[in-house]
Amino acid sequence: MFPKIRSTLTTLFSLSLAVASPALFAVEEGEQVPDFDLPSIYAGQDNISLASLQGKTLYVDFWASWCAPCLVSLPQYNDLYLKYRDQGLEIIAINVDNPIEDGLDFLEETPLDFPIPADPEGDAAELFGVIGMPSSYLIAPDGEVKLVHMGFRSGDIELIETEIQKVLAEN
Amino acid sequence: MRSLRYCLLLSLLSLAACSQVQPWEMGYLAREEMAFEVDSLESALNDHIFFSKEASSGGSSTTGGGCGCN
Repeated sequence: MFPKIRSTLTTLFSLSLAVASPALFAVEEGEQVPDFDLPSIYAGQDNISLASLQGKTLYVDFWASWCAPCLVSLPQYNDLYLKYRDQGLEIIAINVDNPIEDGLDFLEETPLDFPIPADPEGDAAELFGVIGMPSSYLIAPDGEVKLVHMGFRSGDIELIETEIQKVLAEN
Repeated sequence: MRSLRYCLLLSLLSLAACSQVQPWEMGYLAREEMAFEVDSLESALNDHIFFSKEASSGGSSTTGGGCGCN
């Protein structure tokens, strides 16, 4: 009887710890990008999945309309996209707004040229183990994560551009 | 002894019900209905009355330290 109770309690305790702890499996530099498949935020558009973007240098950004630095970063990412898309750069900015209309309101005022997947339940954010907003990931064509960037301060865009140039030059 | 065990089990079970607000869910906390004050104008007026009566300001929210130095 006693060992049984003890093992149940241990399981319960570890379960509660696992639930309470922050993202334990955050994607880090040097790791492979997790596979995702998300609908576009715009109705009637194709799903956006990792498979459909394979072989390209990919920049994945997580954003929401309530996150002020995200809104500062997006137009700057758009400039980067227009500058480097001919060299094989793809940018996707995953929106985690719930409801997605909050994100759409922003996009109406600030149109962006790259695909915007919608992740209102945070499935992809959980998969990537996002530990702060905004978080972004630079992924080489072979699927290796080259840069994990959190937050967005002035001067960050230059740093990100340099990293993108490096990955584009290597491939 | 048995009731103690049940209490422990219950408290552990309720621990499992705790969950941390994930970074991508922070928007929920920023919603109007999540604010402590229902009416911001009313709370500003209440603050003003309190400040006038007590000759101290601040301390009722995160801003201001309640030092009465205004």
